[in-house]
Amino acid sequence: MRYGKFVAAAACGLLFACQPPQGTGTETDAVAPAEGETASEVAVAPETPTHWTSDGNIGNGLGPVSNDDLLAGSADTEKWLLYGGNYANYRHSPIDDINVDNVAGLRVAWAFPTGTVQQFEVSPTVYDGIMYVSSSNNRLFALNAATGELYWRYDHQLPDDLRLCCGIVNRGVAITGDTILMATLDAKMVAFNRLTGEVLWEVTLAPYADGFSATSMPMIVRDMAIIGIAGGEYGVRGFFDAYDVATGELRWRHYTIPEEGEPGVETWAGDSYKTGGAPAWTSGAYDPETDILYWTTGNPAPDWNGDLRAGDNLYSNSLLAVNPNTGERLWHFQFTPHDVWDYDGNTQLFLVDVERDGETISAIVQANRNGFFYILDRATGAFIEGTVYVEELNWATLDENGRPVVNELANPVEEPDYRVCPSNLGGMNGAWTGAYNPDLKLAYIPSVESCQYYEKGITVFQKGQAFLGGTPIPVDVEEGIAHGHVSAIDVNTGEVRWRYMDADPMMGGALSLAGGVVFTGNQEGFALALDAATGELLWKFRMGGGMRSQPVAYQAEGKSYVAIGSGNFTTFVAFAGGPTAIPEGGHLFVFALPD
Amino acid sequence: MPSNRTRGLVAGTVALATTLLGACESSTPADAFRADAEALKRGKALFAGTCAGYCHSPAVERAAPYLFDCTWRKGSGTDQEIFDAIADGVPDTAMLGFRGKLPEGDADIWRLVAYITTSGPGC
Repeated sequence: MRYGKFVAAAACGLLFACQPPQGTGTETDAVAPAEGETASEVAVAPETPTHWTSDGNIGNGLGPVSNDDLLAGSADTEKWLLYGGNYANYRHSPIDDINVDNVAGLRVAWAFPTGTVQQFEVSPTVYDGIMYVSSSNNRLFALNAATGELYWRYDHQLPDDLRLCCGIVNRGVAITGDTILMATLDAKMVAFNRLTGEVLWEVTLAPYADGFSATSMPMIVRDMAIIGIAGGEYGVRGFFDAYDVATGELRWRHYTIPEEGEPGVETWAGDSYKTGGAPAWTSGAYDPETDILYWTTGNPAPDWNGDLRAGDNLYSNSLLAVNPNTGERLWHFQFTPHDVWDYDGNTQLFLVDVERDGETISAIVQANRNGFFYILDRATGAFIEGTVYVEELNWATLDENGRPVVNELANPVEEPDYRVCPSNLGGMNGAWTGAYNPDLKLAYIPSVESCQYYEKGITVFQKGQAFLGGTPIPVDVEEGIAHGHVSAIDVNTGEVRWRYMDADPMMGGALSLAGGVVFTGNQEGFALALDAATGELLWKFRMGGGMRSQPVAYQAEGKSYVAIGSGNFTTFVAFAGGPTAIPEGGHLFVFALPD
Repeated sequence: MPSNRTRGLVAGTVALATTLLGACESSTPADAFRADAEALKRGKALFAGTCAGYCHSPAVERAAPYLFDCTWRKGSGTDQEIFDAIADGVPDTAMLGFRGKLPEGDADIWRLVAYITTSGPGC
């Protein structure tokens, strides 16, 4: 490992022309000249390195990641290449030597710190015996997947005036060929050589100062990296892009809000479509058999005051079916038209076959942030079924087409006194994952039960400024009744089969193993293993920080591992409900059975 | 009903806050608004719609400073300092200036000042 950017300030020639890089923890410690000295004679402390590369002699010589590798996904137990494990987003591994009978014996194999605060939401990527781990603040580490040895590291340098709603998070990096891709909080995407860590290219998705950011793992489809933008709280015009992995060239952009003259613009009053949000801040799903890409969108802006944007506000809170070659929209289904609760429609999509009345239907199912579990026809987007997967839901019912019939009492008002359920965090939320066991036909959904008041206010749009229109008031937190659960949902019917209950909202991701175990974690800081069939708690380990990551499983050197990140964001704990006294700080734990 | 900091803190603290502020600062337009229930109601609505939410939430400390605990990052929290921060923003942060942006211009900024300074514990 060597310093890739070990540049002493003196090398710049003019001391005072050298500005320390903006961001976190990288200020140059320059010494001011004493009287009589010139700047060139003054000793200058070296700039803190921000990039450590490798000589490239790492891994097992597996060669570049192929398209077949991506299509196989987590079916190859030595790899975890995609955010969802496979393109259908099952987050399920065939690993069965960790199972219901022995999971209680799991021990820490190795651990690794991130050195950063706030949520550690990563879904690690594993290939060729190397694990790629991104942390909050866009740090990226390449580690030996069996031992945790650090191979290379990159600290993305961020400006101080980021436009974020919800923390300095990143959920993982994509891989294809010999390239690793990371989206950044300042709305860029950076490509790295997977073996050396050297930067191959960097593109700006949009100006961060206008309210844009990017937090999700890019999704690889063939030779393209697809990435969506965040910024729904800033009134941006949402989009998701496809970039050529080899060059960083933009192939296409899909805007989530139509322009004047395009279909759907009539669903926005006046000029409100120009500041309508509808971000695309999570990863999608892909059906290789039909070559259809599925992407989802978030809330319209402003979040909690819809007075100026009368109409359905297409294509906010929607599922979009897209041609991945062109970005052309094929069809859409809108979950929450004219949202005034911040019910982003972008939780995890599962591509599953469901049995309905003796017929097998290719479906998409989703536990939406609005509290409904949707079963849709994957080919057409037609609504099949909607059930309630949270304990309390009172903002709407669904009609026969899946369109909400809104409870007027739930609308934000200036002096609210009506508990609206679920909260603007969900239910489930796009910031964490669920998992699906194809043998049991159960989807495992970590969820929040924390109802809120919604206070409507006065707002104006100003580019780069939060555009919210109101505020949620976490009344259940204040009453001490906010809590959470993992719900196991039968994808054929949408019925909840079992719940694992927790004292705090559950906001960590999930992993399913063929060994009949579901891994997740809670805000108290425990990694948890549940019986996939019953929800019984089989194992827990106190990691320390609250669990907000997306666990993965893999095999290295013949041994099976489960990787789970620890580290929460106190502000969010206070907002959702949970133990605020636990300090922040990211730490990755990798578990295995004893030899 | 919740015993939160977002609700019901206005009326009882108006007189105290006015007195304390008046002792160390010359009169500002916020003075009249602090004694005007309708102005405070609009200040509250402006705050809820424009300042709270994911920024200066009155319910929890977020990335932006909590504004109801009498501690200030810029100055000592005089009416004019708060007005200036709202009007001109804070350099190198995500806090942009609102001068000329709110529906009723400077008057709305002063209503925000009045609401903020009367909604805390009394500084």
